[in-house]
Amino acid sequence: MTADNGAAALGTAPAAGTGVIHDLGYRHYEGARLGRAGIIRALYWHSLRSAFGIGRGAKAKIVPSLMFALMCLPAIVNAIAVAQHPGQSPIVDYDTYLFRLRPLAMLIFVAAQAPELVSRDLRSHVLPLYMSRPMRRLDYPLAKLLAFTAACLLVLEIPLILLYVGNIVSAAGGSAIWAQTRALIPGMGVAVLWAVLLAAIGLVLASLTGRRAYATGIIAIYLFLTWSLSSILVSIAEHGPVGPTGVPIGSAVAPLGARLGGLISPFNVLDGVRQWLGGTNPGPIPPPGSVGILYGVMFLALLAICLAGLAARYRKVGAA
Amino acid sequence: MSTIELRNVSRWYGNVVAVNDITMTIGPGVTGLLGPNGAGKSTMMHMIAGFLAPSRGELTVGGTPSWHNPDIYRALGLVPERDSVYAFLTGAEFVTASARLHKLPDPGAAARRAIEMVEMTGAQDRRISTYSKGMRQRIRVAGSLVHDPEVLLLDEPFNGMDPRQRLHMMDLLHGLGERGRTILFSSHILEEVERVSGTIQVMVAGRLAASGDFRAIRRLMTSRPHVFLVRTSDDRRIGATLIGRPAVTGVEVTDHGLTVRASDYGTFSREIAALTRDQGIRLRELLPEDESLESVFAYLIDADGPKAR
Amino acid sequence: MLVTVTAPPELRAGRGPGDAGTAAAVIRTDALTKRYAGNVTALAGLTIDIQPGITGLVGANGAGKSTLIKILLGLLPPTSGRAVVLGHDVAASGERIRTLTGYMPEHDCLPPDVTGTEFVTHLGRMSGLPATAAKERAADSLRHVGMYEERYRQTGTYSTGMKQRVKLAQALVGDPRLLLLDEPTIGLDPAGRRSMLDLISKIGAEFGISIVVSSHLLGEIEQICDQLVVIDGGKLLRSDTMTSFTKVSQVLLIEVDEGIDALVAELAARGLQPRRSGRGLLVRIDGEQTYDMVRDAVADLGLPLNRLEQQRRRVEELFRDNGDEEEHGDR
Repeated sequence: MTADNGAAALGTAPAAGTGVIHDLGYRHYEGARLGRAGIIRALYWHSLRSAFGIGRGAKAKIVPSLMFALMCLPAIVNAIAVAQHPGQSPIVDYDTYLFRLRPLAMLIFVAAQAPELVSRDLRSHVLPLYMSRPMRRLDYPLAKLLAFTAACLLVLEIPLILLYVGNIVSAAGGSAIWAQTRALIPGMGVAVLWAVLLAAIGLVLASLTGRRAYATGIIAIYLFLTWSLSSILVSIAEHGPVGPTGVPIGSAVAPLGARLGGLISPFNVLDGVRQWLGGTNPGPIPPPGSVGILYGVMFLALLAICLAGLAARYRKVGAA
Repeated sequence: MSTIELRNVSRWYGNVVAVNDITMTIGPGVTGLLGPNGAGKSTMMHMIAGFLAPSRGELTVGGTPSWHNPDIYRALGLVPERDSVYAFLTGAEFVTASARLHKLPDPGAAARRAIEMVEMTGAQDRRISTYSKGMRQRIRVAGSLVHDPEVLLLDEPFNGMDPRQRLHMMDLLHGLGERGRTILFSSHILEEVERVSGTIQVMVAGRLAASGDFRAIRRLMTSRPHVFLVRTSDDRRIGATLIGRPAVTGVEVTDHGLTVRASDYGTFSREIAALTRDQGIRLRELLPEDESLESVFAYLIDADGPKAR
Repeated sequence: MLVTVTAPPELRAGRGPGDAGTAAAVIRTDALTKRYAGNVTALAGLTIDIQPGITGLVGANGAGKSTLIKILLGLLPPTSGRAVVLGHDVAASGERIRTLTGYMPEHDCLPPDVTGTEFVTHLGRMSGLPATAAKERAADSLRHVGMYEERYRQTGTYSTGMKQRVKLAQALVGDPRLLLLDEPTIGLDPAGRRSMLDLISKIGAEFGISIVVSSHLLGEIEQICDQLVVIDGGKLLRSDTMTSFTKVSQVLLIEVDEGIDALVAELAARGLQPRRSGRGLLVRIDGEQTYDMVRDAVADLGLPLNRLEQQRRRVEELFRDNGDEEEHGDR
């Protein structure tokens, strides 16, 4: 290479009457390289953005935005109601948050978006390109899981925060604010459980197929069927009339069947865990009472199965 | 002897003319169908196979049109490009099924013969799902040969085969061609087409650009000087002599010898030996640089105009 | 922003084509064996030594080839034996190896709704490059493989040739020292193959990157590779430099467009023993005067001489069961 390259590098113009050919040849990379952690982080951010359709065009953003908006709606309505009628108890609780709406919104979100993170890559057979890079085989599902959990967290927690803000803005005095804060914390904790379990379920089911439509179907059907079945079981098992809050009138403790009926649906398992951990607001299932611990166990079991399933799936598929 | 005849055949899909007014005859022996992607080769093969009707013109195989003519499949064997084989069958089952579909009197024997021809006897009782790509290709060829067809159509027949399998398939096709079968195959691998086929048909953008022996085609390209590499004991001296000859339009001195451009191929090829002899120069090497099928093909494509990227 | 122009490959220590000064093999395996369940042996005691430059990997079919690649990338443990890639053992340093290698798979692997730029940039980040570096190197890689404005279109709209180029670009983006290319010309038409082969040659010659090309097409292997490794049945059949594979023999090939019979008679009369072979004749070279005798015979008869060439071996002869060894008449 000619000495002129030095001049070119320093950005000075060549002298009149002379010329320089700049070296556009291949350049080696001598800079920093991120290790596994950096790569996982990059894949995490990339996947988190996919979960909301960012970087994919307008159509991909429709479902996640709609579901997010749907989730925020109760918080906004509540804020308006509380502002207009101060002193009225809030419409929405932090820990149950409209227990008929939230499962539906999350079902749609998870069923629509989990395939975006996982099924796409399977369909386009891009995994060998990941595996041939300096990451371990399970780093890929790990990054995806972290990203989707974060995505679900956003969709679950932000409405709670909105709810909180809406309440304290209209709150009368410091003690009211404090009461709201004390109610918020466990609510956010429950949302974390929701995010963790639903993300795992969504991803492991989506990883079964490269076809996004099938994956969405599988997830939606699983979540919806178990939810319906569970509700039916619970109400069948309960004798006598059922009040508006779901607890049979005239009895303090629901029959065992009703208390166990929630175990088959992830949404109801989550509610069971909430109640077991001390949540008192009424929810979709009657208070589990003595069998509350089963809900805790079921939560962990479901989570473990999903994680194991993901690991097994990607150990096999990554060898492509 | 079955001949494939096309007369003014065109095929269009709405505004897209996939095959544009092609007249050609494909006789016994091995013929290679070449062309860039999108030239209309698959459409052509589909029409010959009877899967598509020409929009215009006549297309016959052995004198009868192949469209709407199920009888034609007695004389026609097909090996399409798509890998559409029932993976749960064993090789033997697949070929025997093919034999039965052709209503052969002794399907088992016909199947065995065909399998032997493609040298898959060892693997015939394994499921096709366990075969490599090259093996699948071979078993499909067996399936198409089982009824001893006069005409064989193959689309990219060497796909996925390793060198040994390739050589074997080339020998097989060559042998069948020598024995009077009409074999038409399309391929992008020119070095193999060069080997197996005597005749080529080159399609470009739906039209037939050239037919015949590629060397003869090259000779016809008189507007393009032939390029030779010449190595002698005294390149510069013979170079000086050559540039003085009317048959030669250019001489270039390179590290490997002289690159000579000859506008008059016939004259140059006749005088080079004498010229070197008269100057007492030893002629060590004379190589035609642009007579390969690859060069001829490139020239034919180029002749159609600059390609959009 | 100051752009640093790095020194070209040859000047940089430890890099560069032909940097075999330390005779450091790029890939070395030692009795590498891999057996799968159900008694399938993909590799059976494979021992190879691949030097810097462009190496062709031929013959390994199906299971053998993909198994070898996975083992070399540290993704699959061998049943027995060792493999060392760029000085690192595959069993211990798989990740390190994957930092230093780029892999271009045979199959389709492009998501259709992503642009070429986004795709290569993302994979650059997956190689460990920081965000800005990934963008810049992606842009450069795409330029090197000849993708210009097409890179802003979605890969679903690409032709096969473009897709192959993008696959190559993603293998280059992490600045590998070794490229593993699996059937890089598959599905390409002749012009596309020519382009891809030229590109690979350029990378091997100018970029200071060693390349292993796995291909079934011997012709293209002969054209671009410096060395060849031939694997048959999971074992090494032959491994050598290309020049020794395609060694010249002591036989001269002569092709004339007409009058071949007269030429045969004339050469026979001069004491050479011409043999017909395909479209031409072969004579044994008994010293320099053979050339002159042939020249004179052709000149005397005024025949159109089309080819005069010292015959070379071709790689494919290894795969012919009854090698045409006699054709060469080696001493």
